[in-house]
Amino acid sequence: MHIMEGFLPWYWCVFWYALAIPFIAHGVIRMKKITEENPEMKPLLAVSGAFIFIMSSLHVPSVTGSSSHPTGNGLGAVFFGATVISAICVPILIFQALLMAHGGITTLGANDFSMGVVGPFCAVFVWKFGRKIGLGYSAAIFLAAFIGDWMTYVTAATELGMAFPIPTFESAWIKMMIIYSYTQIPISIAESFLTVIIFEYIQKLRPDLLRRLNVIKTEEPSEPPIKVSEVN
Amino acid sequence: MFENFLDSYAHSNGIRNVNTYFKVLFGIVTLIVSLISSSPVIPLIIFMCVSLIIVFKAEIPVKFYLKFLTVPLTFASITFIFMALFFGTGQHIFNLGFLNLSISADGFNRGFLVFSRIMGGFACMAFLGLTTPMTELFKVMENMKFPKILLEISMLMYRYIFVSMDEAVTMYHSQETRLGYSSIKKSYKSMGILIANIFIKTWITGEKSFVAMESRGYNGSIRTMNDLGNIRNVGFKNLSYLILFEVILIYGVYLTSTYKIF
Repeated sequence: MHIMEGFLPWYWCVFWYALAIPFIAHGVIRMKKITEENPEMKPLLAVSGAFIFIMSSLHVPSVTGSSSHPTGNGLGAVFFGATVISAICVPILIFQALLMAHGGITTLGANDFSMGVVGPFCAVFVWKFGRKIGLGYSAAIFLAAFIGDWMTYVTAATELGMAFPIPTFESAWIKMMIIYSYTQIPISIAESFLTVIIFEYIQKLRPDLLRRLNVIKTEEPSEPPIKVSEVN
Repeated sequence: MFENFLDSYAHSNGIRNVNTYFKVLFGIVTLIVSLISSSPVIPLIIFMCVSLIIVFKAEIPVKFYLKFLTVPLTFASITFIFMALFFGTGQHIFNLGFLNLSISADGFNRGFLVFSRIMGGFACMAFLGLTTPMTELFKVMENMKFPKILLEISMLMYRYIFVSMDEAVTMYHSQETRLGYSSIKKSYKSMGILIANIFIKTWITGEKSFVAMESRGYNGSIRTMNDLGNIRNVGFKNLSYLILFEVILIYGVYLTSTYKIF
């Protein structure tokens, strides 16, 4: 859910920019550190950004009859870390705004705060917590994707409710929650199923990639990778 | 599914060779003026002006522009209706006659303001997207001291988006010919396989291109031809036109600040 250009009054645009920038800055510093330590990560970060962009332009038939798109931030956050996603979301949102008229320049702060900060942080937290209490990879990634997607929309609803507190913030928030969050639950569940399929497929074909990202542990017994002689 | 791309127009339009700083300055300042307006008049005027520039000066086909317009227009209309119905206090001006729904003057005004701001903002954004190639925008950002690492990754990302998009379209079509999307269950499975495959393939592309770049002397920065002109080369005439245009708009914002439809 991207808030459109011109939707928020200017003071809220400034406010959300100010709130998002510390996270983006932290992500940039971490990105710098990662790429200085091993430079081959630079193209990898770029392709993962491209991956998130493509994922959000693929439409999935959803239960409500409309079509929704996976935000992909849960999966990305589990793979690369939350603040890296905050930083990488900035160019993604600029591309989506300029190339597809989806989102906007002035609302970029608000969109980055919902899609790049709150969603990924919740997803990583759920993923770590789920793994700690002994959930399997699939169950943990399901919950992480669900929470990551849903919290993105809850944050968007909150942002909208705060921008238009009519007649009071609470009633506006409830209206926005009904429209943006409750309708999003089936879509989130659909995305979570999709994420599990993606995760299991990557785990089956290239578990070494996930091991290098420290997503799955090395000592854990996993089936030998199916030989894919020519992937391209 | 993948047709809403306008990169080719950004590279060949009527004002492709105009100073990039001038275009960016025009787009951003007009965007901000449209945003701070508290009445729907100025954003709508901005929408008309910028659309005329896009169609006549930049010579973007009207058909393409209208198609591009449908996305924000649909969204803005839905917002307008929603706000008119649910975000009003004050007296009711129109009763729908069912479900106790009615439009209030307050909500109507607010909805129309947001509608016009979305359209005005969209036109400025479309102006930037349609007339300026993304690489030149990056160059401008670099001169404005954006973090270098983020810009480099954005540049690479921009390239990979098109590479992977091609692959995704090919895979999607081949899945479709094999009845991959014939039912809901199958479409989920196919979509999952498709996205997982794109992830793996983009990863491999990233590794390979890093090797290719490193063997050609890549040391952490990409250099491009810098021919977008300088901020000083905008020209006195252009600059004064720009300032005049924005001052008129801001004066308009001031004049119409209390204007309401109802």
